[in-house]
Amino acid sequence: MSMRSQVYAWNGNSFIGAAPAFAAGTGQFGTAQSGVQTSIFIGGFGNNITKPAETTATEFVVIEDVSCTPTLPASGAATSAAPLAIGQLAGWILNAAGPGTFGPRAYLQVRINTTDYFLNPDNVTNDGIPGTSSPYPRSLDFQPSFNLYPDVYVLPGQVWDVRYTAYAAAANWGTATLNAATNGADHNAFCKYTLYDGPDALIANKLLEMGISINPGNVDWYKRSLLSAQGM
Amino acid sequence: MSMRSQVYEWANLAPGGAGSTLSRSNTDTVVPVPANVSTDIFIGGIGNNITKPAETTATQFIVIEDISCTPWVAGAVQVRINTTDYFQNPDVTQMNGVPGLASPYPRGCPSNLTLNAANPAFTPDNLLKSFDLYPDVYVLPGQVFQILYTTSTSSSGAVGTAPTTANSATVMCFVKYTLYDGPDALIANKLLELGVTINPNNVDWYKRSLIEQQTRSAVAATAAAAGGQA
Repeated sequence: MSMRSQVYAWNGNSFIGAAPAFAAGTGQFGTAQSGVQTSIFIGGFGNNITKPAETTATEFVVIEDVSCTPTLPASGAATSAAPLAIGQLAGWILNAAGPGTFGPRAYLQVRINTTDYFLNPDNVTNDGIPGTSSPYPRSLDFQPSFNLYPDVYVLPGQVWDVRYTAYAAAANWGTATLNAATNGADHNAFCKYTLYDGPDALIANKLLEMGISINPGNVDWYKRSLLSAQGM
Repeated sequence: MSMRSQVYEWANLAPGGAGSTLSRSNTDTVVPVPANVSTDIFIGGIGNNITKPAETTATQFIVIEDISCTPWVAGAVQVRINTTDYFQNPDVTQMNGVPGLASPYPRGCPSNLTLNAANPAFTPDNLLKSFDLYPDVYVLPGQVFQILYTTSTSSSGAVGTAPTTANSATVMCFVKYTLYDGPDALIANKLLELGVTINPNNVDWYKRSLIEQQTRSAVAATAAAAGGQA
C-alpha cells in the first residue's frame, strides 16, 4: 500500500565520467539514431532497464511530466566554427549544412500499449513533446512552455514507454567537448510519475470511475471519506 | 472518451531549405519566410506541415491554451477560427497577433538574434512571457482553425537581397491545446452552454455531478420501492 513519487532520467551516453570515443554497437546514442524513435527504457542506447515498463495488476501509474534536451533556433548562416557561448546548450555547434539550430531538435512521445499519446491536429501521430517546450534540465535559458495536464494514466496491466527522437544532423549531434559529438552524451530525457501500489491502486481505479483526477491528495481524500463512513 | 494535452511545434525547416515536409528529418535546413505574409503553421507550405487543415470533428472540442513564437525578426502569431482572426486592433482592424517578444518560444531564449554570415549573435538576456492566453480560445465541433505566423521584416537579414537558407533566421511557433473527444466533448459543449470555463477540472466536476445525481435517483427509487412494499 503506497503512493510513491518516481523519476527516470535517461542519457544517451551509458558511460560514467569522461566519455570514450564512439564505437558502433556499444550502446552509445550515435548519429545513426537521428530521426529514429528510441525507447528511453529498453531502446538499447544509453542507460536502460531490464524489461519494458509495465504495470502489474496491483499497480497504477500516473505520468506527470516528460521533458528532454531543448533546442535554440538560430539561422542557416552559421558555420561549424561558431559554438554557442551561453546557456545550457553552450558548446553546441552549427553547421552551414545543418538545420540552423543549436541543440538536438529532440522530442519525447508517450506510448501506452501500442497507442501514441501525442497527435497532430490531423490525428496523425507526431514526434511528441518538443524538448524546447518542456526542457530538461530546466534553466533560466530554457523554461517550460508545456505542462502535462491532464496527466497520463497507465492502468493496471498496461505496457508504457517514453520514446526519444532527435533530428540533429551528424555534424550537429552534440557539443564538441567530452567527445559527445558522436556518442550522445548531450541527449537527455526525463520522466516524472507517481506509482500507486496495492490498495492505493484500487482507490486510483475507483477515482478514475468517478471522474476524479488521480493524485495523492484525492487518494487521501477517498481514504478519509471511507474512514468517516465507518464512523472513525 | 478522453481529454488529452496536445502540442504542435512548427519551424521553418524542410529538406533542402525549400517548401514543406510532413515529417522532420536530419536533412532539414532553413526555409526563408516572406515578410508580411501570414503563414499557416499547419498547411502553409513552409517547414513541417500536416496532411490537412486543422479542424475538429463533430465529436471533438479543442481548447487552445498557449501560443508562442520566436521573438526575433519581429515574429507574431495569430489564431484564426474559420475565417475570423482572434486578435485585433482596438479599431477592429487586422493585426499580426501576439508578438514573440510577449510570448516567446523557447521561453527564456534571447530577445534578439543578429544575423551574421559567420556566427549568429544573440542578445545576452533571457526573455520571459508578458502574455498569457486567458481566457482560452475554444474551437467548437466542426470548426476549422489556423495558427498564423507573420514576420514584418522577413526571416532574411540581408535586406534587398533574395532570401536564401544562408541568410535566413530559424523561427519556430508553438501551440498547446487540450483535445476533448467523445463524451468529454459533449460535456465541454454543455459547460459552454452553462457559461462555465472549459478545463479538465470542470469536465471532471460535471462528470461527478452526473454520477451523484444518478446515485441520488437510485437511492430515491429504492426508498420509494421499499415504501410501496410496506
